[in-house]
Amino acid sequence: MNMDVELINWIVIIIGQILITIGVFCDFVAALLMIRFPNFYIRLHALTIGSIGGAVVPAVGAALIAIGSPFLGTFRWFLAGGALVVALFIFILGGAGSHAIARATYRAKIVEYRPCYIDQLAEDIGEDGC
Amino acid sequence: MESWVINFLTIAMFFYIASFLLYIVRLLKGPTISDMVLAIDALGYDLAAFLIILSILFRNPILIPCSIVLTLWIYALDIYVAKYLEAKEMSE
Repeated sequence: MNMDVELINWIVIIIGQILITIGVFCDFVAALLMIRFPNFYIRLHALTIGSIGGAVVPAVGAALIAIGSPFLGTFRWFLAGGALVVALFIFILGGAGSHAIARATYRAKIVEYRPCYIDQLAEDIGEDGC
Repeated sequence: MESWVINFLTIAMFFYIASFLLYIVRLLKGPTISDMVLAIDALGYDLAAFLIILSILFRNPILIPCSIVLTLWIYALDIYVAKYLEAKEMSE
């Protein structure tokens, strides 16, 4: 019986570590893109890479690692539950928050993007196009 | 098994700190207000995930409520700045 439980713990930990590796890689790439991208609207993509790939995936991975590591003691279930709640919150709030900021920035015309070829939102609203 | 997990998490921590520094560079360089808000967003969400990894390393569950509240505050910051930028009114 003890051998099976040990094996399951190892599998869960390995899966958690794979998720954390993906998350850390996504996070580092998003940080680089956040600096390299030319203007605000393209940086929104870097933000959602950093928040979804860089925060939700490692949070789920950390939850799996917490479940699979009995040396943490009984509080690891609380830790796994809390990590999944944080992952759900970031998953929902990340997109909503960046959408709110993008709408406000567009409406307030804070960012002007020089090579502007077509602006369909402006045409929909009725303002003059690009 | 324990040392295997602890060593892995400490290595992951350094990459997290490196990406925090890159976000802070964008925060300081950001030409407009909304760029800074973007940097704070990404920084805050990654800090929440970082707190969870730290709570595994420190074997102490007290950091989990802190990361939940941090996530909600980062979203609230988004909404406040969006309301201010668009309608010039703080949501009284």
